[in-house]
Formats: sequence, structure tokens, C-alpha cells
Amino acid sequence: MVISLKGGVKLIGISVICFCAVFVCTFFINYYIDASAAAPNVTEGMKAVYEGQLATAKISCALSGCCLTVIAFFMLAFYVKLYVDGHSRQLGILKAMGYSDRELALKFWVFGLSVFIGAVLGCGAGYAAMPLVYGQMTVEGLEIPVKFHFWLPLLLISVPTVIFSLFSCGYAYFALKRPVSCLLKCKTERNRFKIKKSKPSRNGKEHSFLMEMCLKTLSGKKMLAFFIAFASFCFSAMIQMGGAMYDLNSGAMGPMILIIGIVLASTTMFIAMTALINSNIKNIAIMKAFGYSVKECASALFTGYVPCALIGFGIGTGYQFLILRSMVDLFFKEYSLKFDFNVSVFFITLKMKNISVKEVAEEN
Amino acid sequence: MIEALNIYKSFKNGTVKVLKDVSVKIDRGSFVIILGASGSGKSTLLNVLSGLERPDSGSITVNGQDITSMTDKNLTRFRRVQVGFIFQQYHLLENLNVDKNVKMGADLIKNKDYREIINKVGLSDKLNSKPSELSGGEQQRVCIARALAKKPNLLFLDEPTGALDEATGRAILDYIINLQRETGFTMVMVTHNENIADTADTVIKMNSGKISEIYKNKALKTAYEIGW
Repeated sequence: MVISLKGGVKLIGISVICFCAVFVCTFFINYYIDASAAAPNVTEGMKAVYEGQLATAKISCALSGCCLTVIAFFMLAFYVKLYVDGHSRQLGILKAMGYSDRELALKFWVFGLSVFIGAVLGCGAGYAAMPLVYGQMTVEGLEIPVKFHFWLPLLLISVPTVIFSLFSCGYAYFALKRPVSCLLKCKTERNRFKIKKSKPSRNGKEHSFLMEMCLKTLSGKKMLAFFIAFASFCFSAMIQMGGAMYDLNSGAMGPMILIIGIVLASTTMFIAMTALINSNIKNIAIMKAFGYSVKECASALFTGYVPCALIGFGIGTGYQFLILRSMVDLFFKEYSLKFDFNVSVFFITLKMKNISVKEVAEEN
Repeated sequence: MIEALNIYKSFKNGTVKVLKDVSVKIDRGSFVIILGASGSGKSTLLNVLSGLERPDSGSITVNGQDITSMTDKNLTRFRRVQVGFIFQQYHLLENLNVDKNVKMGADLIKNKDYREIINKVGLSDKLNSKPSELSGGEQQRVCIARALAKKPNLLFLDEPTGALDEATGRAILDYIINLQRETGFTMVMVTHNENIADTADTVIKMNSGKISEIYKNKALKTAYEIGW
């Protein structure tokens, strides 16, 4: 087997992201369907709160579901790339023995398993949380019973699993399209023909080894730099999504979604840090053997990525601000919700006024 | 001087015993070869003596310092100041050129004259080449320059000629031996090639995790006088 289940276990981060996405989507979509079915019973007095709750369900689902799916796609693509790069020698041997790219790529379906596990658990947890969600999103005088729509879990589990499995296989197929010799030597085809010569340093100044290492690690692994920036982008976006959802939803829903945001943000950063360390593990080992301290190794390898992380964080903040503002403008224009910046202890988070949609709707 | 006393080392929670009650003395400035078949524990002994790994029990003193009781920080400092390594698989930093790979060792002791060593190993025209552009012999010479650039008192070599052809292997070995005799640092080399043993002052033979024999060579041979 090209990819062991042990290799699949490393994709726990993807499972966590899928869990959160499916968890949120399950109960909000279910609520939206059940609440829509109760539309004929809505009186004029209930209308404002009712529409507010429907809008909350839509925005929560759209923000968390769509945003997380995109993030999961990027994460998975990166994992497949890391896997192919990290196992290029083994894959090269298999190709040399006569296995085709297609045969090898098909084995990457295992990566879809992490999505399946996350989706199943997310769906189960979503249904378990449903009584709480319905309890929090009540419309006074309107009964919205919890109904089980069998197609919903089927859709939320099977579609992501199939799409992600196909995506993994497809991505692996293209990643494997390198000559066997390149795979055996752990080289990318581009590197094979284009070996950059080191430029002499500017002003005749010599960088120290640690600085040189820092710059070369960064320039040699641009994909990783992008991933770090992306992880930082996700981190800030998710923290802010959690904060915004906390303000948007009333009662226990707010803290629940805030916790999801924090869990997702931490998972993304964990994945990024793990990827960063794993891809530099050989260099760290050599440096440590020669007597470089842990602090020196860390500064040589990671300092270069700090600007990437900051840029990602900045873009994530701006992106989430625009998304939230446009979504709130779209769905809640009649409730005059406003944004303002709030510098919290750790992050510049975008927060709405501490008042939920339901409360605004009830005031109206 | 390196003195190891009653060293035990095992892996996989003690199920694989690699070193069993090994005691050895290595004189300052000597060239010692640890000889043995694959799996005899010679590389593990080298790793333990150099402070890359800690033994399960026993003590190792290097110039009066007990390295087995050192903290990780002190052990790192010990390796930084005292030890140089040359590995069979080179373990060069692939993203850096020859100059920067050697600078890695030189910067540890702020050695500004490290390019002289690159000249000595005959790689002055390859300063800007990446390891992937070099032959096996050239990569091993970079490895030697990197180790020597930090002017170690102790040089540990793990099968330095194991991945090289005979001609290149002889040239590399000859270079290292001459350098050791000129400079006088202590050199410990692991090999499975019995012929190479004739070039060392002392030979430690290992078998199944134990020292089976220690002997001193009276007449030392050069790398070009031994069989291969």
C-alpha cells in the first residue's frame, strides 16, 4: 500500500476542519429547512424575528461551511504535496518497478477518509446539538419541530468525501508526473533543470550562517511560505468569524461557535507548524549535531516565515471584515447592525456591537 | 582523553540491546578505528562517545568532563566546542552552497578563515555549487571541510568512505589521515573495512554489542598501501 493508514492519521487537522464545517452546516441547514416549512404559520408580529433567525442560519452556514470547505481544500492539497515530496523516493522506486501514475494516484483516496471521519462525527454532533440550537433560535409563538431529513447527512457526508477523495487522487496524479530519476533524487523537475547560483551579497557584506540559512530556507520553500501565510490568514479569519458569530447569535450558540472558531484557528496553526518542522527536520538534526542550540535552530528556520505570517494575518483580517460586512449588509440591512474594530488582548478582532440579531429583531 | 566505562545502550524499550558493558579508553591525539560487521554496535558506540546519544547506563568522560551527566544545553555546548562529525551519507544542507555549508561549522567558533580549508580540500572552484551538483567524493570533502572549519579537538567519522568508489575513498582517507597527523586532533572512525584498520594507531573490534579485541598497530600504513 502506497499510503498507510498511519499516514492518513496525520490528516487529523483536515478531519477537525471537516468536523466543524459539517457540524455547523448540519444544524443550521436543518433549522433553515424546518423553519422555512413553518413559514405559513408566521404572523405579522413574528415576521421580524423569524426572518432574522432565518438570516442568521443562512449567514452562519455560508460563512462557516463555505469558508471551511475552501480552507480544507487548500490544506488537503498541501498535505498531498508534502506527502509526495516526503515520500518521493519510495514513489520513485514504485514507478521504476512499473507502477503507473494512475495506479499510484488512486491510492491517495485514503486522504478522503479523513474527510469522511470528520464529516460523520460532525453530522452526529450536529444532530446531537440540534435541540439546543432550536431552543436558542425560537420564535415566540411559532413552533419549529426538529425533523430528520435523511438526505441531509447523506449529502453532507458523501459529497465532501467523494469530492475530496477525487481531489486527492487528481492532485497526486499531477504531483507524480515527474521523471523517475527526479523522484528518486527527491528533486522537482523545475529544480532539475534550473539550479540557481547563489548571488554575491549586497554591499560586499557577508551574512552569518544563521541569516543565510534563514533566507535560503524561505526562498527554497516558497510553497511552505505560502502555506504559513495562508494558515495565518485562516487563523485570523477564524478567530474573527468566531468573534462575529459570538455577537451575532444569542444565548449558548455564540460561545459554541466562538469555541469552534478558536479550535479551527488553533488546528490550522498546528498543521502549519507541524508542516514547517517536518519539512526542515533534517536540517535541524544536522545543526543540532554540530552544536547549534535549539534557539539558534529555531531562529534560522522560522524567522523568515514571520513576515509571511504577519502578511497572512493582515490579509485575513481585511478579508473577514469585508466578508462579514457584506454578508451583514445583505442579510441584516433592516436591523442596522454595525461593525467596529475592537483591539482585544491578543488580536485585532472585528466585532459587531454586543447585541444579537434576535435581540435587534425583537427591539424592532 | 575519552574514557567510557560500562556503557549499556538499548533501543525499543530495552528489547534491542546494542551496547553491552562496553569500556574503552582513547588517548588524546590518537587515531582510533572501531571495526565491526553491520549490527555490531559500532555506530551506536560512536554516537554515544560523541554525545549524539546518551547511554542507558555507564559513564563517559572527555578530558575530565562527564558528558553523560550533562544537561542537554551543556551537551550541545560540548559538541559545539569540541566535536566535529563526518557522516557516510554526508548530510549536507541541500539548500546551501559549498561556501555556506562550510560556514555552518566555521560560524560556531567565529572562524573567518574557513575558505583556506575549502582551498585545502580542493574545492575553491566549487564555492557556489550546491551539494546536488557535486560528486560523492566532492560532497565528502565538503563534509570534511565543514567539520574541520570548527577546529574540533575530537573528530568522529562514521564510515566516511562507505559511499565512495575505491580511488575516491583512498584519496579521502589519505587526506583525513594526513590532516590528523599534522594537526594532532583525536580521531575516531567507524568502518567495516578491515583493511582500513591498518592505518590507525588503535583498533577496537566489536561483535554483538561487545568489544571483542583492542590492539595497537606498530607500523602504520597509508591509504595507498592497504587493500580495499
